[in-house]
Amino acid sequence: MTHLGTLALYLASLLAVYAIVTSLWGVRMRRTAWIASGAQAAYAVGGCVVIASIVLLHALLTRDFNVEYVASYSSSTLPLHYTVAAFWGGQKGSLLFWALIHCFFSAIVLFQNRTRNQELMPYVTAMLMTIALFFLGLLCFITPPFERLSFIPGEGSDLNPLLQNYWMTIHPPALYLGFISASVPFAFALAALATGKLGDVWIRTTRRWALTSWFFLSLGNLLGGRWAYEVLGWGGYWAWDPVENAAIMPWFTATAYLHSVMIQEKKDMLKVWNMTLVILTFVLTIFGTFLTRSGVISSVHSFTQSGLGPYFLTFLACILVVSVGLLLYRLPDLKSENEFDSLLSREAAFLFNNLILVGLAFATFWGTIFPILSEWVRGVKITVGPPFFNQVNGPLGVLLLFLTGIGPIIAWRRASWSSLRRQFTIPLAVGLVLGGLLFVLGYRNYYAVVIFSLAGFVLAGILAEFSRGTRARQVMLHESPPQALGRLVGKNPRRYGGYIVHIGVVLIFFGVAGALFTIEKQITVSAEQSFEVGRYTLHYTGITDREDAHIAAQIATVKILVDGQQIDTMHPEKRFYKKQNQPTTEVDIRPTLVEDLYLVLGSYDAPSGLATFQVFINPLVSWIWIGGLILILGTCVIMAPNPAERQAFALARTSADMRGQAVAE
Amino acid sequence: MGVKQSKFLIGALLIVGAVGYLIYTSIQETKVYYFTIDEFLLNRTTLTNTDVRVAGRVQDGSIQWDPAALNLTFRLTPIEPGPIPVGAIPTGVPVSYQGILPDMFAEGRDVIVEGLYTPDQQLVASTLMTSCPSKYEPEIEG
Repeated sequence: MTHLGTLALYLASLLAVYAIVTSLWGVRMRRTAWIASGAQAAYAVGGCVVIASIVLLHALLTRDFNVEYVASYSSSTLPLHYTVAAFWGGQKGSLLFWALIHCFFSAIVLFQNRTRNQELMPYVTAMLMTIALFFLGLLCFITPPFERLSFIPGEGSDLNPLLQNYWMTIHPPALYLGFISASVPFAFALAALATGKLGDVWIRTTRRWALTSWFFLSLGNLLGGRWAYEVLGWGGYWAWDPVENAAIMPWFTATAYLHSVMIQEKKDMLKVWNMTLVILTFVLTIFGTFLTRSGVISSVHSFTQSGLGPYFLTFLACILVVSVGLLLYRLPDLKSENEFDSLLSREAAFLFNNLILVGLAFATFWGTIFPILSEWVRGVKITVGPPFFNQVNGPLGVLLLFLTGIGPIIAWRRASWSSLRRQFTIPLAVGLVLGGLLFVLGYRNYYAVVIFSLAGFVLAGILAEFSRGTRARQVMLHESPPQALGRLVGKNPRRYGGYIVHIGVVLIFFGVAGALFTIEKQITVSAEQSFEVGRYTLHYTGITDREDAHIAAQIATVKILVDGQQIDTMHPEKRFYKKQNQPTTEVDIRPTLVEDLYLVLGSYDAPSGLATFQVFINPLVSWIWIGGLILILGTCVIMAPNPAERQAFALARTSADMRGQAVAE
Repeated sequence: MGVKQSKFLIGALLIVGAVGYLIYTSIQETKVYYFTIDEFLLNRTTLTNTDVRVAGRVQDGSIQWDPAALNLTFRLTPIEPGPIPVGAIPTGVPVSYQGILPDMFAEGRDVIVEGLYTPDQQLVASTLMTSCPSKYEPEIEG
């Protein structure tokens, strides 16, 4: 059976080469039959990868421990859903999973454009298949997933316990979907550069893909944070670990692109900048994959050193050379005659938001690779940790939050003083009153006070927009308030979906700022002893043991009291996964909207009966997840079908001259 | 370039400058030197009162753990027991740490210690990270 998988991978590689060659040669020779054959081959690549994936999944589910991958990442006692998750739990499987998703997306792109964008498509096919070929090459020659052992182990060594968590089963796929869908706008951007069709069409064709990529990158990062919070047990959700940085960097540049592309649609400006952002986002996804797999930088999440580094670096270098080369070649055609009008305009707010987002990406990049850079330049390895990232990205984030309050409301081109007064009086008043109130109430953490007042400022601005729009419909069209609100969003999902995303972002900022008030305590107690943390009294009653074939656990029982009244009982655990011979910490969290009580059983010493606890009181953390949900919801609204957009698209496609007007909303 | 465009340029330069300044000063303030235990032992005399991050192995039989006080001491020794570099003290460096033990901390494990190298020649660790060789690439037993 596994031979079939190996064969499918080899065949897929050959077909990918065929697709690249016939697509490019077809363009050169003006043979549409060849181009069509290239597209067919690309579908076939997908078919082969599907077969290989089914074979691997089959090996996992039938527990064929003779296959090295199955023996390494699963065991006979591993529950079914984690056995499926083992598909992407290890190096080789995750590369196959990557290839699978990439081919799936490629097939969708080819199908969507089977009659459209005929000039761009051969290049798009060639580019997508080149990326596929890279991963297929790794799978065929460097990390073959179907390798067999010389013996049949009686038992597998099991999936890493840290990955045996429901968030972990969905977090990597979400992130992969985000990473991989970034290759679609990239392929179109390169196709546009190669053909010289630099107008709006490639941007509009890939708008949904860019949004999809952003959607999954956001989801992946949120789920990753949630996983770290529940599983890693250090009390937080984000540690600026290289692997987390790898996931957030493309998110920064993708966010920048989603904003700056509006300036191109509106004013036909920033074309080079937008191209650069699309290329950069894709390069950062590959760089992120490189970081997690090369072992170049040590990280809690990374796959161990695997010798894949050089291949990724070579691929990265090729992409950069080709993209930058094409960009420089087309530079004269990408010039714009338009100019920015005023600093008091939406263009300006977007431009500065872009610089800050790229600054965030750069600072994160710099801090991540600093150990390598310093070793090259000065011969000493110097590392920077979370304090560096917080010191740099914190202030930049605050600045970004401020611009979030301005960008969506301020007028395009040039804002008049009267419009500024009309739009900003309420938000400014809300922000200032909130800040003043917090100060009077005795808050002296100025960082937090600034973030909270800015959050009020941004929220007030957005809510005022919703209420203005709703009221206008009520008055003019005599609709009921809920009806007016629904239609307002439905008629212009892009604008109001964007506002909803911003509400989510503000809530995430709000939740993150809560970390400035975290309380932490470590204490060792014996049974029936109590201790106090913040407003809580924790009463430890004892340890119970529980054991099954897969896990042995020591479970502590801790009663939670406030003002002498018991409000809850918590059960943090120490688990021992038998196959992996490794203890892990199972946190218990009591979330509320105000604060989370986060309880860790640090260690339990059976002879003395002493249990060590680590307790965190994490204010406002729930708002991060709530904000995340709203952000995801808002993105869905933006992606909803939109007749106005379709019309504009058709217009842009048929008449390049009318581009300017077609975009006007 | 008109006056308007130069205003934009100034604004952009201000942001770029701010990013650069933040990066530069933050690196100066938060940088930590990273050594393998061998490099550290070789340069230890120059590192007194410096924040360092050292990768090494927990010496067998060196762990002393007081669960009541959450106090841990152990010796960090070279990973490869090869020839000892000239001028190095072969027994490694004593480490003291206050806090919860990481899950995978044990004798013979490779760890990364981050903390201050004090004048009394010990590493006072603020963080203790265990790097498990079998993290995602486990060994298979026949």
